[in-house]
Amino acid sequence: MTDLFAPLLNDLAILARPALFNIYFAFASIPIGFVLAIFMALGKASRNALVSSLCRGYIYAFRGSPFFIQLFMFYSLALAFNLSLWKPLGIDGIVLNPLVLGPAILALNTTAYSAEIFYGALMTVPRGEVEAARAFGMTRSQQFRSVVWPHLIRLAWPAYTNEVVFLFHATALVYFTLPVIDDQKDLMNMAGELFEKDYNAVLHFSAAALYFLAISLAIFLVFGLVYRHLTRHMPGAVPLRFRMNRS
Amino acid sequence: MLDILPQWMKDGIGDDLLFWLGYFTNGKHLTWYASVQYTLAAALFGALTALVMGLAGAALRNARFGPARLVGALYINMVRGVPDVLFFLFFPLAFEQLVELIRAQAVCTPEGLAANAGQWPPCDAANWFLGTPEYLALACVSLGIVYGAFAASVISGAMNAVPRGQLEAARAFGFSRAQVLWRFHIRQMWIYALPGLSNVWMLIIKATSLLSLLQIADIVLWADRLGAPNFTRSAGLVHPDWRWGYYLVLLVFYILVTFLSEKVFAAVTRWAGRGMSVANPA
Amino acid sequence: MKTLIIAAAALAMLATGAQAQTVRIATEGAYAPWNFLDDSGKPAGFEIDLGNELCARAALDCTFQTNEWDSIIPNLIAGNYDAIMAGMSITDERKQSIDFSDNYFPPDPSKYIVRAGTTLDFGALSGKSVGVQGATIQAAYAEATFGATNTIKAFGTADQALADLNAGNVDVILADGSYLSEIVAGSSGSLELTGPDVMIGGGVGVGLRKADDDLEGKLNAAIGEMKKDGSLDALIIKWFPDKAPGPIFAGG
Repeated sequence: MTDLFAPLLNDLAILARPALFNIYFAFASIPIGFVLAIFMALGKASRNALVSSLCRGYIYAFRGSPFFIQLFMFYSLALAFNLSLWKPLGIDGIVLNPLVLGPAILALNTTAYSAEIFYGALMTVPRGEVEAARAFGMTRSQQFRSVVWPHLIRLAWPAYTNEVVFLFHATALVYFTLPVIDDQKDLMNMAGELFEKDYNAVLHFSAAALYFLAISLAIFLVFGLVYRHLTRHMPGAVPLRFRMNRS
Repeated sequence: MLDILPQWMKDGIGDDLLFWLGYFTNGKHLTWYASVQYTLAAALFGALTALVMGLAGAALRNARFGPARLVGALYINMVRGVPDVLFFLFFPLAFEQLVELIRAQAVCTPEGLAANAGQWPPCDAANWFLGTPEYLALACVSLGIVYGAFAASVISGAMNAVPRGQLEAARAFGFSRAQVLWRFHIRQMWIYALPGLSNVWMLIIKATSLLSLLQIADIVLWADRLGAPNFTRSAGLVHPDWRWGYYLVLLVFYILVTFLSEKVFAAVTRWAGRGMSVANPA
Repeated sequence: MKTLIIAAAALAMLATGAQAQTVRIATEGAYAPWNFLDDSGKPAGFEIDLGNELCARAALDCTFQTNEWDSIIPNLIAGNYDAIMAGMSITDERKQSIDFSDNYFPPDPSKYIVRAGTTLDFGALSGKSVGVQGATIQAAYAEATFGATNTIKAFGTADQALADLNAGNVDVILADGSYLSEIVAGSSGSLELTGPDVMIGGGVGVGLRKADDDLEGKLNAAIGEMKKDGSLDALIIKWFPDKAPGPIFAGG
């Protein structure tokens, strides 16, 4: 039994530090993407035709193209402006650092997916409640804070939970395109490196998969608790379920 | 390539434009354009495999036999825990090793085993050669398995969305269980499954951008090679880094494919929904 | 007697069968002038010319295919091709997993390339960003020599590293001198070599699976022949003009 599990435990120990990079990528991009997505969803619902079509176009472009290619394109685009823009501003070390650029591209991507989720929720906020709030003489921002927002976040939360899990999975792609600095390797880099030493694909990729699985479940657990909090006043609320939405 | 043009046309186009036309139609670029065949093949055959896996997965998920239901549920939930790219890399490798392991039992001699001790494959004779066609086939199967799980959850949901009354009425008319399943249940299921399956297709399209990770010279690999700067005169046109331009072309390509797919699915949904009482199946 | 004849015939057929077998050679296709993809999209360069000549002399039927650099050794061992000709330096570390033929390119100094006008103090380099191609001898050297006080950036291909150098995202690249000298010549003055030569690596050879002694023998015989009659020198000078006038291997 120990013979079977010792190599796996050994792999899990080696992969602990690389896993932190995937977690970091997700943690750094999710809050930014969340805030931007709210504005993007409101923009898409805006009555201003220009704002609405710009947001619509952004969401369509980012959801309609592969993240893998977005990574490639934004890295080489950022590189193209290095001498003319980042260097004179003195921020080239920041902009082109994979630990900044990676989360930035992830955030751009998740903004589009999350915005579509929030937009869908926004469209199902009960009209009557918004009209009642207006009848009470609430300003637009008061309407948003006390009526629209609580509905929106509760309606969007299950789908948003899945988006966060899929965003975490997308962090696996970052280092296939961005240069690896020093020994800042992520799970996929390290699993690949281990595989090239002894060709034990099953062992090393399973170990990496276990990390992804465990962290996905942790995300799901935490977001489930938040959902319980969001729906605490609703007696018959359905518990959070895994559903596909990344499309 | 441009040599076929008559001289008057060349004069009309002008030297500069003629040069760029020639550059963008040289063998390298033509190979790039042709490599879209791998992307499309992977998407089509990946989607077909996913559909088959999806039907099988949904059948398991809704089976009356408990352990089968468990297998179905495990399969459907697998993709939610593990990134597609991990499975996409792992499956072809693991499958190749499995084939070689089985073959080794039959063909390896003790000398062959000794010569390769501590290496893979167990002996040279057991080696399975993987070229582009083999990798492409394995890529399709990987896509099929991963996105088949998505399809399974869509189809399983759609099966449950078919109104019970329809099936009960069919039973009452004396159709057998199998007849009800094929002629009524599955046939009506499609209209409920189409929006979800359209999403799965979009996911598969986007996942085809990963083909280069399996050493397939696809559109992504060629864009990288063509756009990379070249300072060596003997290797063709000397130019700086043009990669982002090439990637932008790929981005537009994928957005166009998504757009076209949406149109096709909308038409199919209208066609499949004719005569059905479902106003808004989504 | 009859069985003997049949056995001999079978053996002969097996032998010819083995001879007709194709030797698949992997190259990177992104390391001009060693190996690159020409305007028709096919592999070309010094190693493709050399590989075809070696195969002609050894009566082998050879084809070239491309493979990403970072998985080029694993895929050789996995049997997806039979040989590597990709400017791969012979090192003790690589010899633990694969065999090499005799070298077909002499030990060549690695050099530093920078944007024109950059001066670096290689004795006390610190706070700089050093670009290398991952899994190369230069990557290992840079990590050991500069890793403590500088940032080492590893790229998938040498071309990608070069793009970052040109765009100012790395300060200096360490790579094979034979590769860099052609780049400096073609950069119309924007890039230049600097600093000391670094002698690492034991020449470039064909990478082969350890068990493939037969192929190794044939290639070594052909390489030896080409070294002796001067045709290898001629080929090197054709693709690397700064190696002229030689002699490189001939007469040695």
